[in-house]
Amino acid sequence: MYQTTYVRASSLAEAANLLRDNPDAKLISGGQTLVPTLRQRLARASHLVDIVHLAELRGLTLEGDRVVIGATTTHAELAASDLVRQRIPGLAHLAGLIGDPPVRHLGTIGGSIANNDPAADYPAAVLALNAAVHTSRRTIGADDFFTGLFETALDPGEIVVRVSFPIPRRSAYEKFHQSASRFALVGVFVAVLADGSIRVAVTGAGPCVFRATSIESALARSFTAEAAESAAISADGLNSDIHGSAEFRAHLVPVLAARAVAQAR
Amino acid sequence: MDMTGTQHIEAPRDVVWAALNDVEVLRQSIPGCQSIEKVSDTEMNAKVTLKVGPVKATFTGKVTLTDLDPPNGYTITGEGSGGPAGFAKGSAVVRLVEDTASTTLNYEVKAQIGGKLAQLGSRLIDATAKKLATEFFEKFGEAVAPPAEAAAAEPATTEKKRGWFRRLINK
Repeated sequence: MYQTTYVRASSLAEAANLLRDNPDAKLISGGQTLVPTLRQRLARASHLVDIVHLAELRGLTLEGDRVVIGATTTHAELAASDLVRQRIPGLAHLAGLIGDPPVRHLGTIGGSIANNDPAADYPAAVLALNAAVHTSRRTIGADDFFTGLFETALDPGEIVVRVSFPIPRRSAYEKFHQSASRFALVGVFVAVLADGSIRVAVTGAGPCVFRATSIESALARSFTAEAAESAAISADGLNSDIHGSAEFRAHLVPVLAARAVAQAR
Repeated sequence: MDMTGTQHIEAPRDVVWAALNDVEVLRQSIPGCQSIEKVSDTEMNAKVTLKVGPVKATFTGKVTLTDLDPPNGYTITGEGSGGPAGFAKGSAVVRLVEDTASTTLNYEVKAQIGGKLAQLGSRLIDATAKKLATEFFEKFGEAVAPPAEAAAAEPATTEKKRGWFRRLINK
């Protein structure tokens, strides 16, 4: 690891100022991606600005018809939350599938979505549930948030504060994990929103999370596992690596979507 | 990993060919290019910063042009060492096809990485190589024939921010 300066920020404003004044500073919350990267010297940070303890980023509350989750909520906290388990069971289930116990007890939802790893689980939930991402500057809708491989609509120095999920009628997440890393080889989140609209988001298959619109329209006609499985997904532009070809990933999407439909509650 | 792609450029083939051999245009097109200097007509030294997610590594190495077949195409190869991060090598076979007043650029890319980057990032190599190749040829197309509306920059940046993958799957 290269030498760095650790700063425990005392407020969101202080963290924002540190990022503004030091272009090579990095935010750290759970550090489950950042710390291994720094240790391997695959990145260098002039400062590590720690925000994981900030009160402004905590909280897991019901606000009207939404569940609002602070950015530094860990995967384990979310998976164990009675509120999330009752209102958005698919999201609680997803959080319990991320990585392994150490990752779940340190990694945070804000860190995961800001990193936007193409095989991370949370982006599928945020996109399928049409969540809103509240940042230190503005609110960004799920459809605009994830823009490409490890790219989001966040500007430099902009900090995720909380994620607000509208409570759906039904939700479920099905994941085919890569057994060494526990990342999603393919993960599919199916949601029926309060207004009856159906959204299906796919992670792991492409360079960035995306909506499977062919499955959405099939499910709109008939919300059954058979309908989901009969929809075709093109392998064009999907990931191909030693763990699975693009065709294999394309095949998994409707299979997992069908399982998710059968599980949705 | 292998990939192919096409970039349509609103300029005659001779102009596109000249740009493919222009160090300044290459500097603007290579993603993360910090510096590039000409050693000979077919060899350049370059310094490139690669930033993908949490990883940020600076590679020093060279860019070479081979199989020159003016004005039909060539092979461009970049290889470099990123210090503790490992090494990266990528090449593209470029073919130019002339339409009436425009040119279609076809490319075929091969990429390899080694060292720590390969150990830790194997699941991301393909997606990263695709992203870099797409960026290179898009920027190259813009450098050769700037889109007419490029002057009205503000709305264009929002479109850009939506990302290359969205554009790819929405086609």
